[in-house]
Amino acid sequence: MTAVITDPPDTAAATRRELMTGVLQRQGAAIALVIVVAVAWFSFPRFGSLDNLRDLALQSSFLAVIALGMTFVIITGGIDLSVGSLYALGGVLAAYGSQYGFLVALALPLAVCGLIGFVNGVLVARTKMAPFIVTLASLLFARGLLLAITDEGSNTYRVPADSAFIELGRGTIGGFGYPVFIALVLCVIGAVVLRRTRFGQSVFATGGAEQSALLMGLPVARTKITVYTMSGVLSGLAGALTAAYLQSGVTVIGVGTELDAISVVVIGGTLLTGGAGTVLGTVIGVGLRNVIQNIINQIGTLDSNYQSVVSGAFLLLVVVLQRSLARTKPGR
Amino acid sequence: MSTPPVRRTKAALFAVTTLTVALTACTSREAETTSQTGSGPAASAAASQASGPGCTLEKTGYPKVDVKSAIVGFSQSEKEANPFRIAETQSIKDEAAKLGIASDKLLVTNAQSDLNKQISDIKSMLDRGAQLLIVAPLNSDGLQPALDAAKAKKVPVVTIDRKVTSAACTDYLTFIGSNFVEQGKRAAAEMVRVTGGTGKVAILLGSSGNNVTTDRTKGFKDELAKTAGLSVVAEQTGEFDRSKGQAVMEQLIQSNPDITAVYAENDEMGIGAVTALKAAGKNPGKDVKIVSIDGTKNAVQLVADGGYNAVVESNPRFGPLSFKVLQDFADGKEISENVVISDDQYDETNASQKLGNAY
Repeated sequence: MTAVITDPPDTAAATRRELMTGVLQRQGAAIALVIVVAVAWFSFPRFGSLDNLRDLALQSSFLAVIALGMTFVIITGGIDLSVGSLYALGGVLAAYGSQYGFLVALALPLAVCGLIGFVNGVLVARTKMAPFIVTLASLLFARGLLLAITDEGSNTYRVPADSAFIELGRGTIGGFGYPVFIALVLCVIGAVVLRRTRFGQSVFATGGAEQSALLMGLPVARTKITVYTMSGVLSGLAGALTAAYLQSGVTVIGVGTELDAISVVVIGGTLLTGGAGTVLGTVIGVGLRNVIQNIINQIGTLDSNYQSVVSGAFLLLVVVLQRSLARTKPGR
Repeated sequence: MSTPPVRRTKAALFAVTTLTVALTACTSREAETTSQTGSGPAASAAASQASGPGCTLEKTGYPKVDVKSAIVGFSQSEKEANPFRIAETQSIKDEAAKLGIASDKLLVTNAQSDLNKQISDIKSMLDRGAQLLIVAPLNSDGLQPALDAAKAKKVPVVTIDRKVTSAACTDYLTFIGSNFVEQGKRAAAEMVRVTGGTGKVAILLGSSGNNVTTDRTKGFKDELAKTAGLSVVAEQTGEFDRSKGQAVMEQLIQSNPDITAVYAENDEMGIGAVTALKAAGKNPGKDVKIVSIDGTKNAVQLVADGGYNAVVESNPRFGPLSFKVLQDFADGKEISENVVISDDQYDETNASQKLGNAY
């Protein structure tokens, strides 16, 4: 979005530089994704196999759902560190709820994680506390709650084998799991909401220039509360889908997932400083992360630590580009 | 356009936060890793077949696969930042090499403590043609999708060091691991020996809510109860962590100055206790006896130096036994539901010679 790039540039050179970095910033992930997919496709015969692509899509879908919420939060200039814990909590609650039927299995995690997200939003919006402190507290709170209800992780709730809930995670259309389609639909809705609705405009305005947004009478506080609630609900949903897929409420998932989500959002071109970003970029970021992981698996002999090395290097590159983009803008 | 001053610093703040959280995440993963160390098993490859109905090739209807020429996949659960994991992976690789399996036919993945990654690791190895699988599960639950994928391709899965809750023989072939209760019992027997049967014992427990902790505690207490002169005067969790073990030991020395022996449920906590005892002016290994479980190089070295009394091994060398089980299965032999790997033991008489076996 162009909300932050309204100042006239100083010189032609600056314009070119801004254009260059701007393109790299916004399209860098897409270009990189095309390159790595092309390389993988021709180097590893099994990369393009339907089985592999199905698995890749399925594995990406859980993170995509979480990162969708994170995209909104980061565009408002915030950050949500609680998503990993909420993801795990959502999974445990879904598995616990599944013994009472499909609806409970789905509603319980959404309600609880949504509530925690709502509290995050209220604290950030009304008390002006720093988002990373507020959500760091919820990260600890949600993980603690999870350990409390699972007897410190020793009691794993399992989804009954005859439960319809399992179908949600394991059913397929054309071989692709339901979570893939759920994630796709949600991302399309998210993109439309972000680009085509007044709420979406408030999200950009809040992150782009909060004071101006306030002066223009935009509902800044309400916008923040909404995005944090959304992030909570989506994390809970991702947890529920994972529980359905794994047939159990695994307590060890989600450690560090908040960092994965933040990094894919940033790699996808969303500015950490807020005010700019796209859902498509985030989806590409998720794809890039998982394709790199998949390639490292295909190579097989490569130490899997290289996945972190590659992701880390790429993230750094993107952040440096963002910084240089910000510097070319006058008045910063 | 006015930029709120906050934004200028946000990137920096974010960087710091990320770092902090990353460090927190690392720490917690490390702790899990350490607890994993606890659940580590076996080198000497002598297995005593445990109870349970056997599983045969015939029963499963799986194809007969020649182990030496097969494509074998090994899925490691956690990053190799601790000695147990390093020794475990190395043992699989060494045994494969010993059997003459070409290095491009042994697929090795590491899930980096990410359960979803372990599932896709296993699926991708199946995709790449793995005919036999050895899996060190990250968690007892949650691997069902991966096991189902293996089942669909009629690939037998041997799980090592951590048991999964799925059904043996149908979902996976067998579980190879240590008997943690037995480890606790052996530690208690060593405790009786080194203390001469009298004394006040403090227990440094592993992470709570963990079957390794529960089993090592149960085995130790059951065995210790047979010796009237020894009593447990304190027990607290050190979460399988060296610095936590040290901190807990420091407190225990304050509250129970008359402690004469320490049972640590892993080596790391035991080493932490040594540091605490020294700081309190005590002489670990002499006036306060120390027994722990694992068999890491650091602890065995201390035993050899006389500052530690005994270490019961938790054997990480699953390679020989894993391949033997797979070969037996291919040969049509009956494979029991649980295969116990044998654990060694280190004391003042053998620690120096066996130091090379420690990991």
